[in-house]
Amino acid sequence: MQGDFYQLLKEQGYVFGSSGQAGARQELTTATTILAFKYREGVLVAGDRRATAGNMVMYDRTDKVLEIDQHSVMAIAGVPATAYEMARILEHSFKYYRRTQLQELSFEGKLRALSKLLKENVAAALAGTGAVAPIFAGYDAGQEAAKIYFYDILGAEFEGVEYAVSGSGSSTIRGILHYLNTWGEQPLSTMPEEPATVQALRLLTSAAEFDSATGGVNREAGLYPVIKFITAGGVRVMPDLQLRSLFESRVARSV
Amino acid sequence: MYEEPYRWVEAVGNRRQYLDDQLREGTPVVGVSYERGILLMTMSKGTPKLYEIYDRLALGGMGHPADLEKLRFNLLEMAHVEGFNRSASDVTGSRLVKYGIAPVIKQAFEEVFKAPFIVKILLAELSRKAGRDGFLTINYDGTFEEKSRYAVLAATSVIEQKMIGYVRQQSIVSLKDAVDVAIRTWAVGDRAQRLALEDGEGHHEAMAATDQQVTDAEPLYAHVRRCVAEKTIECVLLDRQVQEPSKYRALEADELGRVLPEHLSASIS
Repeated sequence: MQGDFYQLLKEQGYVFGSSGQAGARQELTTATTILAFKYREGVLVAGDRRATAGNMVMYDRTDKVLEIDQHSVMAIAGVPATAYEMARILEHSFKYYRRTQLQELSFEGKLRALSKLLKENVAAALAGTGAVAPIFAGYDAGQEAAKIYFYDILGAEFEGVEYAVSGSGSSTIRGILHYLNTWGEQPLSTMPEEPATVQALRLLTSAAEFDSATGGVNREAGLYPVIKFITAGGVRVMPDLQLRSLFESRVARSV
Repeated sequence: MYEEPYRWVEAVGNRRQYLDDQLREGTPVVGVSYERGILLMTMSKGTPKLYEIYDRLALGGMGHPADLEKLRFNLLEMAHVEGFNRSASDVTGSRLVKYGIAPVIKQAFEEVFKAPFIVKILLAELSRKAGRDGFLTINYDGTFEEKSRYAVLAATSVIEQKMIGYVRQQSIVSLKDAVDVAIRTWAVGDRAQRLALEDGEGHHEAMAATDQQVTDAEPLYAHVRRCVAEKTIECVLLDRQVQEPSKYRALEADELGRVLPEHLSASIS
């Protein structure tokens, strides 16, 4: 198939998603909270920064909201080694397609590419060594709209019409999102950027309150969640200084 | 019959003549380095001649479109597999040319029973620091040269030397300078090629006559004004100020209009 980087890799002997059984005493790095919802200008995608292995906090500065290209983001929940590899394959696949075919891969094509990788990874996911349940969000230039999709570990893709969540802390915030979107002062999709960011910070702080595998804000260390916006103009990152200011003024007092 | 060394040398010589003849009507390509990056410029009729290869690599080519396309795919495959298996920093123009396409082009050129690649290639590489940008040019026989600051492709090495002689005298700082110098250098090459075509055997005399005129910019602009009636100016940049890893971007019509020399902007817009 023309412009298929993953096929090219396989022809070169690359193997992705080989299965193996997790050792009985082996704790894999997993767990997280990621979320995405539509706001007035596009889609907001956010994720905490903690990586855990069982009861151990492995790392507190993980970026789980990965920019795949100028108009798409993959937020990862699950085994980071597999998720980062998927992100690397996707990043190269989209670039390779654009450069060989002299046009952008369609948004549907990007969704399908992630679905294919998840399907190739089923054996590892079921063996317990490579389960990943990502959220993919991007700007669909064809339909001139920012969109959110979430996946199960087998590769099924679902559109998150208003919002999507994944990871161990997702059950906590799913209900809050539903409540906010239905009975809040205004639907999430009509919120400007700043109030939307405040909601994302509050949601991740709530997830951290009830899920030990989700990292909250660590003000002493200057650690804030990663929040990115996808609009027609591309992907933009909310700087830590701005997050800090919003957290201090609109979130911390309520914790 | 080619097992005799003399016959083989003769066949390769014939092949050179054939390739020179095929490239006579090709469009020159110019690459110049400026303060923010690299500009590649040519003129094309529909089919583009300038391409993105990797985050910091761009390609310009002249010759048969199908051959150029084949080599472009070779470069893209090598660059992306290398970038994935190692890192983007390990994808260098020098390695792609020396261990990648130059041997392929040379082999095709010397295998006299097979068709050679009818191409000349210019690969531009943006460095992380200004002043270290580089160019590689590859001839149809697989010979390559590494250059800095500027590089050109034209039908013959004589015309390329003429273009290099012209660009060497110019001062390039801004993008506006780069576009102006690239267009004039292109015109030096294209005029020389057309004169050579018109004059046939006596092309050395015609070339000598144009030598008198290249220091004067107006005849060069006039040549470009005539050419834009049937062709489009194609400019791409490897722009160090682009925030994303991929530094390649095309200079779109409105931006090109703003940086074109005044002598041209009215007639082109």
